[in-house]
Amino acid sequence: MKLPPFEVHRPSSLHNASRLLRDMGSEAVPINGGTELLLAMKLGLAQYAHLVDLKRIPELRGVRRVGSGLAVGAGMTHRELESSRSIAEAVAEMPRMLAEIANVRVRSVGTIGGNLCFADPHSDPATFLSAIEATLVLGDGSTSRRVPVDEFFLGAYETKLEPGELLVEVTVPAVPTGTGAAHVRMKVHERPTVTVAAKVMVERDTIVRARLVVGSVCGTPVLPQAIDKLIGAPRAAWSERVREVAALSAAAVAPVADAEGSSRYKQALVEVFVRRALDAALSNAQGMTR
Amino acid sequence: MMTQLLEQPTKLSTAIGINVDRADARDKLAGSAEYTGDLHPPSMLFGAVLRSQYAHAEIESVDTSGAEAMDGVIAVLTGDDLMDLDPYYGHALRDRPIIAMGKVRFVGEPVAVVAAKSQAIAEAALSAIDVSYRVLPIAATLDRALAPGAPLVHEGPVRPGLAHGLGKLPEREGNICYRYGFSVGDMEAVFSRAAVVVDGEYVFPAVYQYSMETHTTVAHHRGREITIWSSCQHPFLVRQEISELFEVPLDDVRVIVPYLGGGFGSKSYTKMEPLAVAISRKAGLPVRIMNRVDESMVTTRRHNMKCRMRTAASAEGQLLGRVVEMWLDTGAYADNGPRVTATAGDAGPGPYRWEAVDVKAQCVYTNTSPAGSYRAFGATHLQWIGESQVDEVARRLGLDRVEIRRANLLARGGQVRPGAKGLDADLVGDVEEVAAALDWSAPRPSNRGVGLSVGLLAAGAHPVSMATVRLGADGGVTVLVGTTELGQGARTVMGQIAAEVLGLPPSRIVVRGTDTSYTPYDRSTGASRSTTVAGKAVEEAAAQVLEELIETAETTLGVARDELVVSEGRISGGGTAVTYEELIERRFGLKGGELIGQGHVGPRGGSGGFADGPVFWEVCVGGAEVEVEPETGVVTVLRISTVADVGRAINPLLVRRQDEGAVLQGIGNALFEEMRFSDEGLLLNDTLLDYRIPSFEDLPASMSCTIVENQDGPGPFGAKGCGEGAFAAMPAAIVNALADAGVQMTELPLTPERVWKKIQSQQGISKNHSTEEVDQ
Ligand SMILES: Cc1cc2nc3c(=O)[nH]c(=O)nc-3n(C[C@H](O)[C@H](O)[C@H](O)COP(=O)(O)OP(=O)(O)OC[C@H]3O[C@@H](n4cnc5c(N)ncnc54)[C@H](O)[C@@H]3O)c2cc1C
Repeated sequence: MKLPPFEVHRPSSLHNASRLLRDMGSEAVPINGGTELLLAMKLGLAQYAHLVDLKRIPELRGVRRVGSGLAVGAGMTHRELESSRSIAEAVAEMPRMLAEIANVRVRSVGTIGGNLCFADPHSDPATFLSAIEATLVLGDGSTSRRVPVDEFFLGAYETKLEPGELLVEVTVPAVPTGTGAAHVRMKVHERPTVTVAAKVMVERDTIVRARLVVGSVCGTPVLPQAIDKLIGAPRAAWSERVREVAALSAAAVAPVADAEGSSRYKQALVEVFVRRALDAALSNAQGMTR
Repeated sequence: MMTQLLEQPTKLSTAIGINVDRADARDKLAGSAEYTGDLHPPSMLFGAVLRSQYAHAEIESVDTSGAEAMDGVIAVLTGDDLMDLDPYYGHALRDRPIIAMGKVRFVGEPVAVVAAKSQAIAEAALSAIDVSYRVLPIAATLDRALAPGAPLVHEGPVRPGLAHGLGKLPEREGNICYRYGFSVGDMEAVFSRAAVVVDGEYVFPAVYQYSMETHTTVAHHRGREITIWSSCQHPFLVRQEISELFEVPLDDVRVIVPYLGGGFGSKSYTKMEPLAVAISRKAGLPVRIMNRVDESMVTTRRHNMKCRMRTAASAEGQLLGRVVEMWLDTGAYADNGPRVTATAGDAGPGPYRWEAVDVKAQCVYTNTSPAGSYRAFGATHLQWIGESQVDEVARRLGLDRVEIRRANLLARGGQVRPGAKGLDADLVGDVEEVAAALDWSAPRPSNRGVGLSVGLLAAGAHPVSMATVRLGADGGVTVLVGTTELGQGARTVMGQIAAEVLGLPPSRIVVRGTDTSYTPYDRSTGASRSTTVAGKAVEEAAAQVLEELIETAETTLGVARDELVVSEGRISGGGTAVTYEELIERRFGLKGGELIGQGHVGPRGGSGGFADGPVFWEVCVGGAEVEVEPETGVVTVLRISTVADVGRAINPLLVRRQDEGAVLQGIGNALFEEMRFSDEGLLLNDTLLDYRIPSFEDLPASMSCTIVENQDGPGPFGAKGCGEGAFAAMPAAIVNALADAGVQMTELPLTPERVWKKIQSQQGISKNHSTEEVDQ
């Protein structure tokens, strides 16, 4: 529970950061806000002699408009994003989701990139960004590739990042009128016990597209198949179908029992929160609470 | 104002009853306040503690040679270094070795200590120590420790501690550390007459006191003298214990206490001091031991408990009899367990007029970390149980829950416990205040409920305190009193008391921290005793100084004392006024000298009505309104009301802050906090990430604290203590409010999952639900 000694490197470009990481191999690790990494090191769960600080890399900063969507720098803190006008305009639900993370101290230093790359199973952004079909841009300063958020996580604390590769930005598509997104969650301790996010597109009172992500209860976010039961549902059937999807989703997930709760309890929570997420997303699609 | 102020001090209110700014606020906000961890006596070494990873094991060997060979390591201490001493201590039972002596009894027990030139070296050296253990069978839970043939945590004769106050101790009996109980009335007859019997089994969790500052001690054992700087609440008891352990005269042990970053009981009695002294003795230099949070969490905690209670009442709602049996888990060492157990036993009946009560309380050793004092101990353990049964009686009989209390609560002067002081408070009045603040009878949605609770806590501990007040040649005052400032505002209040007596603004008074080499004796800082007991000594000491001033003024002014007026640092009479500075100069014939007053209180001699115990009954009363979300089990506390029945509020704002702090801690104990031990006795949640304490987001939307001032306390100006009662009241009020919302819980904390399971098992919430069966 004491930080072991380490050396900090402060590259000022993506290229240099990647090179440093590659050169030092398993001795080195990127750090941004350090809210995850330093804690893990204090607890003796991770050991690194070299930390490559990403805070001075301009490529990881800022929020840019790209078409109707946004490119969000991986080094942006939750707090910066929570108060960003462009984000509020493109994805109204996102600032609300961000504002619920942790507490203001963690949000002021913790970054969106750090959250995703640490791949803690209990994550709000991982759930929400999967639901709204965000894409991650991974790169090393010379090459880059794109990975959809829901494919990024290989397991608890495991991602597709290659050695020396960094998360550069998150491409966030705008949520257009007629489409509603929602994020709901509950916590028992510091991190969320359950997170559920949904995106639904409604045309002429019929659901034409629907996406549902259940997070924080399994090793990685889960996309229940049952959501397809909403497609084609006319308005009159929404309420009943939502309940059906909620029950089926709960039955389909196999939550991991841990200090947050038993598997059975989490399953019950999944049903409740899927229902709430879908109700909220549908109401957002109707422009009721936008 | 006339000099009768000695006879009628409350008439002169220049310094009490007002919200004087805290004396320590500026230092603390500026970051200049010194805590033990900030101190660095010359040549100080840094200590690190190697702790057992087993809950129960024999130590076959400890090889420290690797650590000793490291650069910068000065000394390594093990049990072998203490063979010349009787290394066992404990104020209640002398059962705890300074460091493991051939055996460990809980995960985290100190096995070796390294003293080195830096903290990093000391910690690195720990991994160079080789310990070989022979693992023994473990009794890490109450059930296992109480089972026939259970592994014994302790063997050999029971040894009384130096301040046990437990009467004659019986022989050892399995893992029972201490038994307490009493029985009054004919229980069988009472139960055979009863129209209603409520019967239940209850579980209370182990929780951690969580003060911000961890236990920190710097000790210097040099030859015959020992100096200790420590984050301790009871410096004089530490001094006594160290003196006995290390066979050094009391006067040669000096304990200095800077500011404490919170205590709540976690720093009461002796904690890390013996270990720090022992390693310093070996190293020959001062050594600091500063716990990490996870280390402090296994240094002390609150007792977990299981309890069975039965309450009998007549058809008219008269409370007739109560039978209660409880088992408190004190961990591997007694610490304050016996006292906690006795206090829990005393809280069993609750403040009602019973025809019969039967209380059996057992303190049990287990292979877990030791448990001791925590704010409102005993009362917090039992009040939620007793009060939930009173509510249940009311529900079954269709009575209002305030009404049943009005009909059964003890009246002023009533007997709380045989042989103890009669009740010195108006409980019905307090309950009515709480109910009114909650809009008791207002209609509420089905998933909301209100609850209240009332209880008593024997406060004051041993009422022995001394104080010295010194009036200097410049008219400034220094108060020497052994009360520890641990954030409660003790120095501010002691200053106000002295200021009031002396007719000076509080800004002229300085209250120093304790240094046992010059601060007069004070038994302890705990049991809500300081304002009442130590404050009385300060009042008396200040009055002595005033008396000397008045004498000098009489001769100086040539005016009789009953024509003198004391006000704002001067005494006037016959048309002239002289300042205190001038009076001192007249008295000594030079610009120097000082006036010194001594105050002392005690059960015998001294002043104050402290002859009958307890010093006063602290009223534990409060109410809550909660909301439960049936589909998730989440409970939200919407509204809280408390009553601080303090006799006289020396500083009303500090009284409120005490209640607010106690409420938040009570909410934590009721809703979130729970130390989880594995079957192997390992504490599983020793960080804030998974040990959830309340934060600002858990503050109820509305909190009200009513201060009741009946001037009926034995302390200065009719004051009595506060700060614990609201804690004991909270879990009880919340449990009762939740039951009112349709969910009757018998296990704390009320985690969402636990509440949800209960709702599942009773198939939803229902306001009129009442359980006849015994809850498992
Ligand atoms: C008390 C507390 C409460 C919390 N509550 C919540 C909550 O409610 N919801 C929630 O979702 N999260 C929660 N979190 C997690 C929080 O969101 C993350 O701690 C934070 O976002 C991590 O960002 P960071 O910059 O501090 O990461 P760091 O600790 O700096 O890094 C984390 C990991 O990511 C790697 N990394 C960082 N940036 C990059 C990059 N650009 N490319 C590649 N690898 C990178 C690092 O190497 C490291 O392994 C909580 C955390 C704490 C401490």
